[in-house]
Amino acid sequence: MEVSFMSYILLAIILFSMGIMGVISRKNIFIIYMSLELMLNSINLILVTLSKHFGNMDGQIIAMMVIAIAAAEAAVFLSLIVSLYRLKHSINIDDYNTLKQKGTL
Amino acid sequence: MSDTIFLILALLALFGAGTMITVSNTVHSALGFIVTILALSGLYALLSASFLFMVQIIVYAGAVIALLLFVIMFLNIQSSHTPKEPNKYLFMLISAIVMLPIDYLLFRAFYTMTDIENFSITSKDFGTVKMLGLELFRNWLLPFEAISLLLLVSLVGAVVMARKKERS
Repeated sequence: MEVSFMSYILLAIILFSMGIMGVISRKNIFIIYMSLELMLNSINLILVTLSKHFGNMDGQIIAMMVIAIAAAEAAVFLSLIVSLYRLKHSINIDDYNTLKQKGTL
Repeated sequence: MSDTIFLILALLALFGAGTMITVSNTVHSALGFIVTILALSGLYALLSASFLFMVQIIVYAGAVIALLLFVIMFLNIQSSHTPKEPNKYLFMLISAIVMLPIDYLLFRAFYTMTDIENFSITSKDFGTVKMLGLELFRNWLLPFEAISLLLLVSLVGAVVMARKKERS
């Protein structure tokens, strides 16, 4: 028996909410970055599933472009982390408060 | 056969994601993410997307995660440097409760699509390099070129941002 495409969709939805949970609950900037990538991957899984379901190639093309953009994002994000670490000597997002207005909160 | 493979790969992906968002050591978290990526590439192969299967392994597991691990080791992050997160499970519970209605809505929205006719019996070369390349260079040429420009810009931007400031 072939697996229904709803099981793929369910897996992708669960992975997406796990990514949201990681972004909200963690303070380590690397883990937040990996949670963002996990969300992009779950969207890719939905795209490929629907591409197979409708017999159309466009979903796979868009998934490939999402992978390319994620690679570009990885380069910029990691260089930003390196430059932030030189400035603050920390990977805790609570220390990145240069733009915070003084005296509030 | 294929639903057994799906079950194993789905459990692996969930296990990797759960490891990634709960473990406090950064390198262990990245290793959990690699498990998720490889399980997802196996799912792409099950969905007859053979080229995306290769791209996922080469670009994600080979380039992105390798770069991430390289940066983690380059910054030499000890376990004493990782931030203290005393109530991370409480925040996870809250965010899971917030996400549940959205997930239910999404699931219902996709469930209505099951009525649409299923085209899943497709031609034999669906998802191969040839079909994907023909589609990409016929109908998606302009977005493809735009993405190559984006990659160039992000390359220059990464070099500029990670450079040490010159003392003048």
